Amino acid sequence: MPAPYLVAENVSVAYGPVRVLDRVSLDVARGELVALLGSSGCGKTTLLRAIAGFVRPTDGRIAVDGRDITHTPPEARGTAMMFQSYALWPHMDVAANIGYGLRMRGAARDEIARRVDEMLKLLKLEGYGGRAISALSGGQKQRVALGRALAVDPSVLLLDEPMSNLDYRVRLELRHELRALQKRVGITAIYVTHDREEALTLADRIAVIDAGRIAQLGTPDEVFHRPSSPFVAGFMGADNAVDVVRAGERWTRPPPGAAGAPVRAHFRADRARVVGAGETPAGGLVLDGVVSQRVYLGTEYRYRVRSDGADFWIEDGARRDEGTSLRVHVPDDALLVFPIAA
Amino acid sequence: MNERSWAGLALALPALLVVVTFFVAPLLMSAVLAFRGKDGGLTLMHFEKAIEFYSTDLLFSGAIVLVSTAAIGAIAVAIAGYLTLGENPRTVAILRWLYRWPLFIPFIVTAQVMRTFLAKNGMLNHVLTGVGLLDPLQAQSLLDWRGIVVAFVWKQAPFVTLLVAGAMAAVDRQHIEAARNLGASRWRVLFEIVLPQSRRTLMVGLVLSFVTMLSVLSVPLMINPNSPTMLTVDIAYRINSHGDYAVANALCLMSLALASLGAWFYLREAARKADGA
Repeated sequence: MPAPYLVAENVSVAYGPVRVLDRVSLDVARGELVALLGSSGCGKTTLLRAIAGFVRPTDGRIAVDGRDITHTPPEARGTAMMFQSYALWPHMDVAANIGYGLRMRGAARDEIARRVDEMLKLLKLEGYGGRAISALSGGQKQRVALGRALAVDPSVLLLDEPMSNLDYRVRLELRHELRALQKRVGITAIYVTHDREEALTLADRIAVIDAGRIAQLGTPDEVFHRPSSPFVAGFMGADNAVDVVRAGERWTRPPPGAAGAPVRAHFRADRARVVGAGETPAGGLVLDGVVSQRVYLGTEYRYRVRSDGADFWIEDGARRDEGTSLRVHVPDDALLVFPIAA
Repeated sequence: MNERSWAGLALALPALLVVVTFFVAPLLMSAVLAFRGKDGGLTLMHFEKAIEFYSTDLLFSGAIVLVSTAAIGAIAVAIAGYLTLGENPRTVAILRWLYRWPLFIPFIVTAQVMRTFLAKNGMLNHVLTGVGLLDPLQAQSLLDWRGIVVAFVWKQAPFVTLLVAGAMAAVDRQHIEAARNLGASRWRVLFEIVLPQSRRTLMVGLVLSFVTMLSVLSVPLMINPNSPTMLTVDIAYRINSHGDYAVANALCLMSLALASLGAWFYLREAARKADGA
């Protein structure tokens, strides 16, 4: 395995008495895109800002290409950040925004113009150089912000939820464009998002962050199919959780007052299947319950099912009324079983 | 006009009457008297006299106010810039607490403070002599045009700083971070990112200060009442010593013309802001 390009080692950050990052370690290879995935307030943006130099770690070190940048000011790090609000300067036109970083590096005027044209072409914004920022759409602003970051050929591209202000269709389109562009340019990138679909689509690896720590770091496939903890399982969509005990070949709900420690099984709503009332498929987990809520998704229905005091969701194409009894089977390969935390 | 419009007019009438009676009418009267001769006819005689006696003071007033405005602008940008971009929280907090004090001190008190501070035997020369930076024989009074400028800047810089610091604080923090991230030093961030986005507020603050300084009597009267001095001193002198309201009115109109330049800038910026909003 090649030596990591970006290294964050035991990085801790605290805002006053509140510890936001707790000894986080992360290695990123050259040309790799790593997504930092987590809910609001988990510390993912703080880690990005620590790498950019806007937040000083209380502990740990950060290095890029072997150079320790832990105490280097932001302007001397060689990283480029794309902000959630894009942060385009309204008093400059598109070309001046894109060329600003090059101007700071002392590039000649014609060199800046050539590079800006290159960026406009790359981002399909030809002819927009003289436009005012206020005259751009959300998608165009996003491209300009990306162009401004890429123009300086940064050592690491840092993206802070760059799609969160866009509507769903534009987001889908730009997501694929961004991935293709990152591959083409071969830039090392860290992408902060709370959207798991975005992380799965874009990233080479995903770091799921929970309460200031990396809960799991792995390829999208690993994180999605083999979550290392109930938190990661829940975050990656396996948000149904029921207590179970092993009964021979299959899992079952623990009988009331049963001895022995039960474990908790997590599964995704789309992996549960409705079976006939008397049917008992081999293996897996069989749950009997009653429909307590129905939500129409367009191509199918999402049902909330109550079973022995536990609630879970399933997805099924057939329409059923609330109050209908049904039997649900979850196959073994869809069950993610974890010991119940004390 | 319907009943509602009448009710609206009735509500606005007292305020309107006050403005017309105590502001518009005296102003018009003053303008008319500036052009009226002893025989009641139209004349430019008072203006000719005003220019003959006080043209140097007119230039002096304009120059003093312009120099003060420039110095106020520079100081306000420096303080507001540090409050926005400073990285030492303690220094920022101290500066934020300290810079506003002169806001609460009247012009006349400021003038008195400066008399004590800038006189030949004043505190400034004492301190400079005490630390060995000034030979006592070379000590001189600064109670001339320099004293007026120092007093104006000391009094007005906090007001403009207050406005500019507010405007700078309203600049999206990510705009600053984006520039620093791309390699801009804090100086470049101040002059290329923050200041252009606060420029209109700075202009408005400077124009308001310009007009205020033009109308201050106490500072030039207490610091530098001898010629050349500011028009406000001349106006007071024409009235108090000669009872010459006509020339005083002509000087007032000349002062108003100077202030109107500032007002024109102010209104232009306000209109641009409204267009941009």
